[in-house]
Amino acid sequence: MLKIHGISKSFGGINATNNVSIELKPNSINALIGPNGAGKTTIFNLITGKISVDKGKIFIGENNITNLKETVITHMGIARAFQITNIFPTLSVKESIKMALLAKTHGLNNMWDRFASHSVNEEADNIAKLAGLKKVYNTISSELSHGDQKLLDIALALALKPQVLLLDEPTAGMGPEERWEMIKRIKELWQKTKMTVLFIEHDMDIVFDIAQTIFVLQQGAIIAKGSPKEIKQNQAVIKAYLGGGKK
Amino acid sequence: MGFLKQDNFKRDVFLGIVVWLFLLLFFFIVPSAGIHDIIQKVFILGLFAMSLNILIGYLGLIAFGHAAFFAAGAYTLGLFLQSNVVNILGSLSIPIAIISAIFVSTVLAAFIGAICIRLKDIYFSFLTLAFQMLIYSIILALVNITGGDQGLMGGFPKPPFLGIDLGKPFDFYAFTIFISIITIILLRQLIESPFGYGLRMIRDNPERPAALGFNNQRHKLIAFIIAGSIAGLAGSLQALLDVGAYPEWAFWAKSAEPLFMILLGGMHSFLGPIMGAFIFEMLNDFVTANTRYYGLVLGLVILSFVLGLRRGLLDWLLIKFYRK
Amino acid sequence: MEIFALFDCIISPACLISQTAGGLKIGMLLFLVASGLTLVFGVLGVINFAHGALYMLGAYFSWQVMAVTGHFGLAVICGAIGVGIFGLLFERLLINKVYNADLLVQILLCYSVILILDDLVMIIWGDEFLSGIGVPEVFQIPPLFIFDAIIPPFHIAIVVISMIVALLLWLIMTKTKFGKLVRATAVNPKMLEALGVNTNVIKAGVFMLGSFLAGLGGALAASLGSVVSGMGNSIIIESFIVTVIGGMGSIGGAFIASIIIGMARSFGAVAMPLFTDGIMFLIMVLVLIMKPEGLMGKKK
Repeated sequence: MLKIHGISKSFGGINATNNVSIELKPNSINALIGPNGAGKTTIFNLITGKISVDKGKIFIGENNITNLKETVITHMGIARAFQITNIFPTLSVKESIKMALLAKTHGLNNMWDRFASHSVNEEADNIAKLAGLKKVYNTISSELSHGDQKLLDIALALALKPQVLLLDEPTAGMGPEERWEMIKRIKELWQKTKMTVLFIEHDMDIVFDIAQTIFVLQQGAIIAKGSPKEIKQNQAVIKAYLGGGKK
Repeated sequence: MGFLKQDNFKRDVFLGIVVWLFLLLFFFIVPSAGIHDIIQKVFILGLFAMSLNILIGYLGLIAFGHAAFFAAGAYTLGLFLQSNVVNILGSLSIPIAIISAIFVSTVLAAFIGAICIRLKDIYFSFLTLAFQMLIYSIILALVNITGGDQGLMGGFPKPPFLGIDLGKPFDFYAFTIFISIITIILLRQLIESPFGYGLRMIRDNPERPAALGFNNQRHKLIAFIIAGSIAGLAGSLQALLDVGAYPEWAFWAKSAEPLFMILLGGMHSFLGPIMGAFIFEMLNDFVTANTRYYGLVLGLVILSFVLGLRRGLLDWLLIKFYRK
Repeated sequence: MEIFALFDCIISPACLISQTAGGLKIGMLLFLVASGLTLVFGVLGVINFAHGALYMLGAYFSWQVMAVTGHFGLAVICGAIGVGIFGLLFERLLINKVYNADLLVQILLCYSVILILDDLVMIIWGDEFLSGIGVPEVFQIPPLFIFDAIIPPFHIAIVVISMIVALLLWLIMTKTKFGKLVRATAVNPKMLEALGVNTNVIKAGVFMLGSFLAGLGGALAASLGSVVSGMGNSIIIESFIVTVIGGMGSIGGAFIASIIIGMARSFGAVAMPLFTDGIMFLIMVLVLIMKPEGLMGKKK
């Protein structure tokens, strides 16, 4: 579904991403892990076109999306949720989801209908149900709990009906219980929608529990990939990541 | 009357007609030229402030050169009606003059907007200010055309059209308020449309929309152009009222006026700016009748709003009595 | 456009020198005012729209001291210090309440202060033009003639005074402890507070210094022309131009920009007498389009 061929990116001479290749199978759920500063978010930014790629190519299906504009890439089927919640503080959950739905279909150029009675209401309902936001449907985003804000961020991405969903630390800033709830929900989402999911996560228990394939990033380069079982036994990973101690 | 509770276009048109008819009746109930003048001005300045509030309240862009479009509309209308074209167009002159005024300010807003929206925050504000002052300087420099610092003098004809003679106080009053109410209804539609919610989205979080496949810049530009064209319409009505146009209308202090109105009335309620225009005009009328020191009083009022109420009057009322 | 007039001026030593000197005088006086504005913005992040009103107060204060004492030097110094103290009160009572507020709130607060001050000076000093405080006796001597260009000695004095102020400002900002604290406050006030520095004092001090500079500019302007309510409303826009062109917060940039604007005004008056202001705004527009952060500003 998503194919990344040897992409590199440097900032002021420092290689933030070094010859990274990732291939995601359709309908798979995958994790991108690595220590702080390994360049995980940078890879998301490169995929979504937020920053430009120096070298290498990115494909979604058969389409080359390398260095296209962020808005164009989004329309080609990639959506993301952010590490630091990135929502619209004064809009309600319902309004926010409707905005995302309309953005997908260029419906925001419409000046002749009323937003409040616009026909996407039903679709927005479904997305909210899917994301588990129905109980706070009419709440203003800035008044949501941290967990619900995270969910709204994901719901915005879901509204785009992406082929590939990128989740940047969906459990960041949550307590252990909340984390598992969130991850259960993500797993459910993935099962229901059959999207291809790539998520960044620090909690190894979570990663090993739900990811089919794990990519391990260190200093901008992929040092290992494989199933949870393979990664657990990978010497390089143990040394770099799990083993701790020497760096 | 259940449909009054629904927020839709039909209701707005209905309310608009009701308000218009009421104000026409009011003209005869209270036959005071001074009060009629205030009401006209409230609508003209209200349009000006509401157009700016598209950018400030809904888009979150502090435009500080909005008077450029007001002046462009005023001068276009004035120059048009002073020209010989009036003899050819005859009774069509005024409608075409107003349309030309809107057209010129729209084109100007497209040009200035396309450049300004690339900048953010204070830099955007400063660039709009610089453009406005550039236009002010051009108006002053083109003495042969604009009359320089004297303004567009000598008046101009106002040929009657469709049985409306703008030379008559009632016709002018009815016409100005009618045009203003139509514009306000259209503006309401714009603000409550998906397009209008796109503006709020950019205001709330300019980073996120791109990741939803949404083009901020184009949206901002369209809003800027619409705001400029409405300011141009307001300017042309003001020029019709004063039978002239003055360079002060392009000076930066003129851009501060709609900011006051937005502050006084409220930027988060649709009708806030026009309420602000009302407060502004009443203040103007009351204070200048009693003291020469208008600035002092206005300054103190603004200060108390900024530090005391911290929001416009209509915003405050709505929060207090409606959205508990 | 009288482009030939400009050409004639440039090839004539008399015109070239007198216009250059004139431009330098305008530019240096502008620098005094604009440096205060850019300093306040750079450290406090506040666009002090009322800076021009402080300039006006400087002119009125010095006029008052002159009327009472008849001493020029005392009048200028008292004007500047008076405005400095006024600025301190202004900062403590009003400005510090909007440090973290929206740009719009800051603009409106400052603009209300302009409206109030413009009327207050009319109430106190009347709404007539007051004739300026004039040139001190020492400088009431025949002008200098350089290649037939007439240069009043007092103009030279103004340029020299402004240059000295610029130098002092540079020394304060780079060599003193206060300067270091100020620069640190501009970059990371939270850090300084954690280190036990009272940044409120520094902020107030910076605002006072900025106001002092506006007052000094106003007092010197009072010696060159008349004093009137609203006289700050054009200098504030020129100061904005200088601040933007030089780079917001950059005093060095303001220095260069002041000279550019001074020269643009001086030679613009020859080439396009009706469009002199327009030239400044054109420069401002071009700088904002091509290099929004200004000539010496930091890229964001």
